Amino acid sequence: MSDALTRAEPVPSAPFVGDGISISLAAPMMRYSLRARQPQALETLLGVKVPKKIGAMEEGIACLGPDEWLLRAPIGSKIVGGAGLPVSLVDISERAICLVVEGPRSAEILNAGCPLDLDRFAVGRATRTIFETVEIVLLRLAEDRFHVEVWRSFAPWMWTALTTAAHH
Amino acid sequence: MILIHCPYCDEKRPEIEFAYAGQAHIARPVDPDSYSDEEWERFLFIRANPRGRHHERWRHSHGCGRFFNAVRDTVTDKFETTYKAGEPRK
Ligand SMILES: [Zn+2]
Repeated sequence: MSDALTRAEPVPSAPFVGDGISISLAAPMMRYSLRARQPQALETLLGVKVPKKIGAMEEGIACLGPDEWLLRAPIGSKIVGGAGLPVSLVDISERAICLVVEGPRSAEILNAGCPLDLDRFAVGRATRTIFETVEIVLLRLAEDRFHVEVWRSFAPWMWTALTTAAHH
Repeated sequence: MILIHCPYCDEKRPEIEFAYAGQAHIARPVDPDSYSDEEWERFLFIRANPRGRHHERWRHSHGCGRFFNAVRDTVTDKFETTYKAGEPRK
């Protein structure tokens, strides 16, 4: 049955390439929303340390709030269940898509709609924030490479907004 | 743009990431059944509305998602301080 299904993406599959910037759709990935009052419970479950500081990211796990983490992993990764532990794991893989914004003009173009001070947003940080009126999760993977996690239904708008900013 | 210090994120963040959520430190009735109409009116509708120092709730809705309390001057719109929910009134 699944052979008959084709994946439809909300943005063009060909990257946008402009002066000092490229914007492209990241490959599909697994995403989990992790909630726990005690991060130790999550660490017991996952077998890895989770970042404790809000806005920090380690090994694909971003701390978004005092009791909230976003786990991103390649498709096919084994995610354990967590029965009996005081944690919540919700599969949100298909809720968002990820746009990769890359190049020396990345920060400038993101700042066309995102009010964060990106000079003070170091490599390795990740946070929920806003672009114009659309909520995003912004992750800085390198000095000039960002991931923008945006909900699928907002993605066509986001693509237009970013590529329009990149044209200027 | 105003920057607001989120006590959970522990950094100043742009105002549009936040949402205002009314006056702070309004305690829910411990024993609602015993409340008179006048007490319900006071709890639900009567707010301080001061000119100057105001204790209010804010939520870092497009950030960490948490509610916290703030002291803001309603004349100058300056934030005097922000602190975590549950901490005593400042
Ligand atoms: Zn916050």
